[in-house]
Amino acid sequence: MNTLKHFLAAVVLAGVALPCPADDKPKDLPAAMKPIVVPMEMLPSRHFVVPVTLNGKGPYRMILDTGAPLTLINSKAAKASELTKKTGGGGGLMGMLGGGLNQVTVAKMKIGEVECEKTAAVVMDHPTVQAISDAFKDEGGPIDGLIGFPFFGRYAMTVDYQKKELTFRPNGYKPGDYLQELMNNLMNADKLNKPKTVSAAGLWGFAVDKDKKDEDAGVTVKTVYAGGPADKAGLKAGDRLLTIDGRWTDSVGDTAVAVSAVKPGKAVPAVVSRDGKEVRLTVTPTTGQ
Amino acid sequence: MRSLAVLIGAAVLAAPVAAADPPPKPKVETAHEVPYRLIDTKHVMVRLKLNGKGPFNLILDTGAPAVFITKAVAKKVGLTEDKKGWGEFDTFEFEGGVKVPKARGRVEDLFQLEGMNGMGLAGVELHGVVGYNVLARFRITYDFTADKLAFVPLDFDPPEPKGIGKGGGQGGLEMTGTIMKMLAGFMGVKPNFEVRPAGFLGVEWEEKKDGLFVKAVLKDSPADAAGLKPGDKLESVKSTSIDTGSDVKRAVAKAAVGDSLKITVTRDGEKKTLTAELGKGL
Repeated sequence: MNTLKHFLAAVVLAGVALPCPADDKPKDLPAAMKPIVVPMEMLPSRHFVVPVTLNGKGPYRMILDTGAPLTLINSKAAKASELTKKTGGGGGLMGMLGGGLNQVTVAKMKIGEVECEKTAAVVMDHPTVQAISDAFKDEGGPIDGLIGFPFFGRYAMTVDYQKKELTFRPNGYKPGDYLQELMNNLMNADKLNKPKTVSAAGLWGFAVDKDKKDEDAGVTVKTVYAGGPADKAGLKAGDRLLTIDGRWTDSVGDTAVAVSAVKPGKAVPAVVSRDGKEVRLTVTPTTGQ
Repeated sequence: MRSLAVLIGAAVLAAPVAAADPPPKPKVETAHEVPYRLIDTKHVMVRLKLNGKGPFNLILDTGAPAVFITKAVAKKVGLTEDKKGWGEFDTFEFEGGVKVPKARGRVEDLFQLEGMNGMGLAGVELHGVVGYNVLARFRITYDFTADKLAFVPLDFDPPEPKGIGKGGGQGGLEMTGTIMKMLAGFMGVKPNFEVRPAGFLGVEWEEKKDGLFVKAVLKDSPADAAGLKPGDKLESVKSTSIDTGSDVKRAVAKAAVGDSLKITVTRDGEKKTLTAELGKGL
């Protein structure tokens, strides 16, 4: 294992030494940023295709895929739009194992009228994309890639299959560098073997428990601390807690995840089952631990 | 609005037979809030109860033609599949309360998901994907600055997808899965998906200009047992010096139930070090 670690460290360092593309956001969002509508074209396979220009070249037909953590562009389109220069990030380890990931930064990518600067993409002739392209190229032409998270993550994106429309509204979200984060996670692979500890964002003042054999929905409230936020909201020991802010609380871990998502000071609904009836409470956690 | 009123008027006039029915109202769109997590692999994960069982973790994937669940999950929820591997769920409910009647799904162990689960890099165990046949029934807004997705039900019956072969050709997921599976085998990772709450203290605080102060101590809580008092200025926790609430959160983040914490406070101008044993609670 030791040699493996050294080996990985060496490979990853080699990757890090290369300049790494940052997905910088458009710095100032215009005050009244109007949502932009982009038409989608359905394929018989029920994937949908959007028109994409790369550095002014194209339009290319690409599949928008919320299951894709990366944007993929095939080598033909990459060459035509001069995206061939390697900018690192995914080199090294990923390159070796993934059959060569060539990460590039697209200076200008446009989907419909949505323009995005300096977005990360990987140049790859993906067999599945090729297979879809071959299967349906008589219906509109070839397909040259997949649009993934580095692009759509920057927008509040609405998908309407009935109208065959996508709506994009810039929201200031930074998608980050997927490959870099993946490698950071890999370097801390020891963490993956341990249970995760989840911390409440605020102080609630109650404790729950659940028997291992208990498979019913919810968890049982064991303790409610007098004067705490849960007590003030009317939570009682013996209540069966079903949801917090719309999130199921079906285990102790679930409950921890639900309260980790609620910022202190925010009033949220908590639904409990009490004496056979569902009761809706409103809890406002405070700052604390 | 005027033309809508005219339209409704016309519709009512044209249908005198239906006069006993209440007059049709203009449709009010209600967006349902569906909690999600952007998992470490940059996939949008939602939780579902299938046939009343679960919750299960599924990825929303516009690159998938349909709902796919693993064989193990299909068995657990008692989904009977036809010869082609499709089954219809009795109930199909998203966390947040959105229910999909007569939802159909395919039973298949997608190697993409197996790969991600093998490595554990998603941070959660994944049980399937939600693809076109269910996604298309809603207008969905993905906004990663919000903590919920917005689902607006559509009056739309999506046509059956035409497959192009095994796995329905899930480009994006496939890419991730392949990489993960190779890495998992390579590094011998046995992921642990268990989630535990951090240890509980029972103290409310407030940030002031000159530091972090105890505002309230919950009666009978670990903080109470340790002797913390309202008005104490928090100086350090577990040898981490404290200026803000986030500092305490960081110091306690990895502490489990039963761990002892040294907490140094200033009370009446004197420094005191107290020991709190973290308990169960939130």
